[in-house]
Parts: sequence; C-alpha cells; structure tokens
Amino acid sequence: MKVIQQVTRDEWRFWHRTKLAITIVVIGTLLTIASAIVNTIKMEHAAHERSHLQHASEAKFIEQPDRHPHRMVHYGHYVFRTPSPLSIIEPGVDAFTGTAIFLEGHRQNSAMFSDKRQSSGMTRFSSLTPSFLLQVLVPLFIILIGYASVTREKEAGSLHIMITQGLNLWHLLLGKYIALVSSGLLMLLPLVVAAIWATLTGESLLLTSSFVFGYILYILVWSGIVLTVSALSNKSSASFTTLVGLWVVFCILIPRIGSSSAATIAPSLGKLEADFAVLEELRKLGDGHDAADPAFAQLKQNLFKKYNVDKVEDLPINFRGTVAQYSEEKLTQVLNKFAEQRMQEELSQAKISRQFGWLTPTTAIRSFSMVIAATSLETHHRFLREAETLRFDFVQSLNKVHQDNLSYQADMNRHKDDKSARVNADNWQLLSSFSFEPDMAKTRLSRSVHYIFQLIFWATLVCVSLRFAVRRIS
Amino acid sequence: MTLFSNISREAKFLAKQRYILVLLSIAFLLSVFAVWSGISETRSQINTIERLIEKDAIDRASVLAKQKDYGSAAYYSFHLTYSAPSDIAFAAIGQRDISPWKHRIRMLAIEGQIYETDADNPELSFLGRFDFAFLVSVLLPLFVILLLHDLRSAEREAGRYDLLISTSRSKQRLWLSRAIALCSALCIALLVPFIIGALITQAPLTSVGLITLVVIVHLLFWMVLALGVTASKFAAKQSSAQIASVLLSIWLVVTVLIPVGSDFAIDAMVENPNGGEIVLTQREAVNDAWDLPFNTTWGDFLTTHPQWEDKVQMGESFEWKWYYAFQQVGDQKAEILSKAYRTATLTKNTLAERFALMSPPMLTQRLLSSIADTDTNASIKYEQAIREYHKALRHFYYPLMFNEAEFTLETLSGLPQFSHTKSN
Repeated sequence: MKVIQQVTRDEWRFWHRTKLAITIVVIGTLLTIASAIVNTIKMEHAAHERSHLQHASEAKFIEQPDRHPHRMVHYGHYVFRTPSPLSIIEPGVDAFTGTAIFLEGHRQNSAMFSDKRQSSGMTRFSSLTPSFLLQVLVPLFIILIGYASVTREKEAGSLHIMITQGLNLWHLLLGKYIALVSSGLLMLLPLVVAAIWATLTGESLLLTSSFVFGYILYILVWSGIVLTVSALSNKSSASFTTLVGLWVVFCILIPRIGSSSAATIAPSLGKLEADFAVLEELRKLGDGHDAADPAFAQLKQNLFKKYNVDKVEDLPINFRGTVAQYSEEKLTQVLNKFAEQRMQEELSQAKISRQFGWLTPTTAIRSFSMVIAATSLETHHRFLREAETLRFDFVQSLNKVHQDNLSYQADMNRHKDDKSARVNADNWQLLSSFSFEPDMAKTRLSRSVHYIFQLIFWATLVCVSLRFAVRRIS
Repeated sequence: MTLFSNISREAKFLAKQRYILVLLSIAFLLSVFAVWSGISETRSQINTIERLIEKDAIDRASVLAKQKDYGSAAYYSFHLTYSAPSDIAFAAIGQRDISPWKHRIRMLAIEGQIYETDADNPELSFLGRFDFAFLVSVLLPLFVILLLHDLRSAEREAGRYDLLISTSRSKQRLWLSRAIALCSALCIALLVPFIIGALITQAPLTSVGLITLVVIVHLLFWMVLALGVTASKFAAKQSSAQIASVLLSIWLVVTVLIPVGSDFAIDAMVENPNGGEIVLTQREAVNDAWDLPFNTTWGDFLTTHPQWEDKVQMGESFEWKWYYAFQQVGDQKAEILSKAYRTATLTKNTLAERFALMSPPMLTQRLLSSIADTDTNASIKYEQAIREYHKALRHFYYPLMFNEAEFTLETLSGLPQFSHTKSN
C-alpha cells in the first residue's frame, strides 16, 4: 500500500516539475468550470423563458372572448418543453429538437424553432457544454498527461532497476493509475458541483449520483487505456501516436460513423412522406366539419334510435358537435398510429447508433449521460406524446361544449347570425395547464442499464489488457 | 538533384515504413466511407423528392376533384416545395440535416406554416454525420500532425539525424521534400475517393475543382504549420511527442475553442427575436379577425392590395375572399418580427463568415458546404423560394375569388408549379 502511495506521489511531483501536465489539468478544469457556468445560465434562462411562454399561452387561451367552440379548436394552444435540471451538464438533443409545439384540431404539428437552426453553425463539431468537454476533450487531456507514464521509466532505464530491486509491477502501475485517475477526477470536479446544483433544483439524488458515477467510470476507462498503451509501448513517441490515434477513432470517428450507419441501415421516411399515407386513411373517415358527410350516416342513425327521433333538429344535442367529437377521435387514432410508428423508427435508428457503445466508450457514456439527464430521444418523444394527449383533451372538451352548450339551430345559422352561435367564454377554463416533467428516476435508470453494461465491458477490457501488459513486461 | 527527384526518393523510403502506410490507408478508407455515405444520403434525398412529387400530385388531384369553389380548393389543397441536393452535396451534407429541404404549404398565412420542420432524427444530428467535409476540415489536420510531427525528431531519436544532414546537400530541402511526399500521399488518399464519387454523381467540374483546391490549400496550411513548428528552435530540444502535443493544442484551439468562442460572441452580438413570438402574433391576428368588423380587415388588406378596392363588398355571412384577406393581414402583422428573425439568421451567418477566418478548419467546412450549396445561405434561399411560391399561389387565386370567376377544374390546371433551380 505504501509503495502505491509513493508512486502516486512521485508521479504528481514529476508533473509538477515538468509543468506540462499541471498546465493541462488547470486548463481542463478551467474549461469545464467555464462551460458549466455558461451552460447553467443558458439553461436556467431557457427554463425560465419557456415556462413564462407556457403561462402566457394558457392565459391567452382563457382570456378569449365568447366564441363558437370550433373556432377555439382552430385557435389552438402552444406547449413548451422545459429542460430537465441535469441538462445544465448534458443538453443532449435539446438544441436539435424544436421546443415548442402548436396544438390545434385535426392536426399533429411538429416541434418548431430548434436552436441549431438559428445558430451561427460554428458549433456543429464542438460545443461548450460540460458533456462535450468531459466526453471528448478530457480523454485527450488524460492522454497528454499520461502517455509517457511507463515509457518514460523504460527509456530512462529506471523501470528495469525498479524491477530488479524487487518492486511489484502491479504496485507501480496501480500507483501511476491512481495518479492519472486523480488528475482526471480533478477535471470532473466542476461536473460534481453542477450535479449538486441540479440536485438542489429538484433532481433526485439517486440520478445525479449515478450520473457522476457514470463519468467516473468513463475516466477510469480512459486512464486505463492510456496506462495500458504506455506500458505496452517501448517508446514515448510510439505510445503517444497510438493513443492519439485511438482518441481520434474512439471519440470522433466511431460515434459519427455510428450515426451515419444508423441513417443508412434504417432509413426513415420523414414526416412529410408518412403524412401522405395518413391523409389517405383520413380521407376514408369523412370531413368532421360536414355533418352531412355520408361517413356519419351510421352515427346519425344510432342517435335517432337512442333518442327516438327522426330528424337531426329534434335531437336534444347538437349533432354537429357530436360529429366533431366522433371524427376527431377516429382521426386521432390514425394520427397516433402513424406518429407512434415514426417515433419507433427514430428510436430504432438511435438504438443502432447507440450499439456502437460496444466499439467505443465515448458512445457508451454519451448514451448513458443523455438517458440519465432526460435529454435523450425517448424524453423528447414523451414530450410529443404528452402534448398530443393535451391536444386531444382540450379539442374534445371543446367539441363536447359544442355538442351540449350550443343549439343546433343557432349553429346552422352561424353565418347569418354570428352572435347567437357562440358559447360563454367561461368554457375556456377547460384547458388544463401543461408542465413537462422529466422522466421518473426509475425509468431513466432502467433505460440506462444497457449503457452501464457497455461501460463496465470497457472497464473489464481495460483490466484484461493491463494484465496482458504486465505479463509482457515481466 | 532536383526537388522532384528528391521527393521521389523520399517517397520510396517512406513507402517502406509501416506506420505511414497504416495511417494513409486509414485516411483512404475513411474517405471512401465518407463519400459512400454521402452519396447514399443524397441519393435517398433525391429519391424521396421524386416520390413526394408524385404523391403530392396524386393527392392534390384527388382533393381538387371534390371541391366546388376556389376558396375550398385553396383551403384543402397542399403544395409541395423542395430543395434538391446539388450533385456535389454528397461531399458536404452541411446544414441539410437540421434545416428543412421539403415542405408542403397551402394558401393560409405563411407565417403559421413555414417554421414547421421535417428535420432528421435529432439524436443522429446531435451525434453528427461523418461526411467528406468533416474528414477534410477536422480530421485532415490530425493526419498531418501524426505524419509530420516527428519529421526531425524521429531521425534524431533514431540517431540518423547527423548522418542525414551531412549527406544531404541542403537540409531545408530534405525536410521539405519529405513533407511534400507525405502530404501528397495523404492528399491522394483523401481525394481519390472523392473524385470517383464526383464522377459517379456527375458533379460539375468547377465544383470538383474548387473543392479539390480547398482541400489542397487546407492541407498546405497544416503542412507549413507543422514544418514551422518542427523547424523551430523550441522543437530542437523536445521529443516527438512533445512537439505533437504543441501541434495538437494548436489544432484544439482552432477547431474547438475559436468556434465555440465565436459562437458565444455571435450570440451575444446579435439579438435574436424569439421565433415563438412570430407565430403567436400571426395566430392572434388571424383569430381576432373573425370578431373584427369586415372593414377593418379590408382596410389592412387594401393597403397592400389596392387593386381589389372595388371588389371587397360582401354580404352578411362568411366569404372566402375575406377569409384569405385576413390570412394575408395576419402575415402582414407578423412581417416585422419575421423579417427581424431572418435578418438575425443572416447577420449571424455573416459574422460567422468573418470569425471563421481565424479558424482554418471552420473556414474549410464553410467553404465546402458553400460550394456544395448546403450552407445556411442555401437554406435561406430555399425559404425565400417557398415564400415566393406562396405569393404566386395568392396571385393565382385572388383574381378568381375577387372576380367571382366560375369554378372549373380546368382553371386549376393552371396552378403555379414550384420550381427551385439547383445553383451550380
């Protein structure tokens, strides 16, 4: 134990003397601090703005004057997705998906106004988010600090001396490993602070701690890779080129190859094209604005039987409202079927690209980080689903008001006597308020299991190769 | 000895080094993958557009056949607009994965429709695509660094340095020819797949030439930089790895820090109107119009369309021309915001253009996507084309509605067609 501590201390002393390593650790830490602060401010601002817009939109809806209920169906409503607390570290897909949806009758609109479309386009490769720094740059920093940790001793001949003096090789490597990991953890410190902040702003402790745990595992893996390569190489220069090569492949290449492959392996139709199929099915349903559409004949007959009448005018309810309800329901079933299909397609693309986590630890930590932070595709999909539920809910409530509170005669006369074909504005209170909550801790944890396994796989792989390296040296 | 024979001698020597061969073949394979996935991506976009055009026509025909007046014909029929990828787009996907290149619109207020996006899978966009432009702008410098950082120090470490210097007539020339040999090999490894790809897609020669030029200039920049650093006094005392660390940090600064910093600066410099405001303004204007006296709408409408002044009288009830007039007025009310929004995008783009001068990789990326016509400018142009087309639809329908022309399907066969010419 003492030996290990001694080695660790010596390593730090060496870094301190050569300045290079210390400079890197300082730069890395400063960068993560800066990015954590900038990102926290940005996300808090976005959260504030979006919840403000949400309230404004709800207030606007309720303030509308007396109207024909169907006009309110088309007036519609906006919902905004508030970011999750952990998105201060991992913004994930937030900047790429729209964050607002317009909800109206008869249609499912897509999300609008993604940040990336409005951005300068400078940050397509890199971004100043703590997650990018930790996933992509910190490994490079660990390489720069540690590539020579064993080769240095080999080149100076000191390794041979130490071994002949009876030093256990494992102790030496473990000492150096701890030194390397501690330098990495130093750069992780701002993330820990940000995670504590997220816990204070309402994220569950279980989630934030497993979030930090995932990143620690990632740093353990990279430190292990660096040490293994350094132990296997005979020269510092060879160790360096191999590691930089590995970094390019793991951090930059494979994740992108993963996403390009996913797009090629499982191409998705796109909303516009899928919509044609939707339209085709919808046309069979009949137009809900036109109560005389033959598609509603059966509905009419059933109602006649139920109320024992034989004219639409004699029905105790407004038949036009009934048709609106009936057709909205049928239409929503069709829309949901296709929306669900589209989300499944997107998800399976994402899952293909996440399988590349078996080929690179970077993809593994990225998937893990997005899932835990609730900024992954799954969460965006849930936002779409919840928005749809709200849409269906208020549209159907309005249609019910249309059916129950507006007489058929006044409704039929709406073009001539617009004033009588209205209902009281009190009815607009039916809109329920919308606030988007991140997924439950349990859901996110169970989703992340797969990626934790990928990380553990990498950790095991590193251990095995380190053992191989020790055998080779001795 | 001429420079050329120097280079060929170096080339023969270098070809025997396994490390270099491995690096070069990785570069070659990556280029093949980038070009292949780029081509398959643009092919699938072209096919999608072809299918969409066909489905769009069938859909519209079947919708129009059921209509009895121009008002509902305009209300129920959608029109496809699209921006086909250029023949060279495979080399730089650019902004096409986040800005829309297909859109269906109808004659309602355009501001309520144009911000809808049928974008790609956000998670894939987040991970980023691997295209030729990425290979050339971000990875090419790394290849140059890996190839050239130990130009001198490797010889020094191998103990051959003094021997080489004393047998060579000019030492400058020795390193230069060695660097040129390595970089030309890298250049060929990267460009051959690209040129084959360009032949397959029959891309115009000028674009191919321009892209080749950009690649070569970017490569030269990094070669000169690497030569400069390795030749410096500082480098003489350092190991290969330390020299590479210096080069790598330069790469980090220009590829990561400068772009991120500029993005931050640009965001601070340009005030970006909130997109949500535009659609909200437009929606309020359109929905309020139902409760406003007809004349208020007509007043606003006639300021931009005075030619219909004699045709705005209407009965008590709903008329389509009034409906479309308040849609038009909705657009007019949102126009200031919408223009500000677009100006902000343009300003940001112009600023980014200037900031990119500090970062060769960014500059390369921007140049490539501009040549391939997949940059922000191209997406703004497409949006403008949609707006023009929407205008053409209004010009087509307004006379029919205001003059109360008799409804015939034949008239509708004269509906304006969307055409967006590829610009290369």
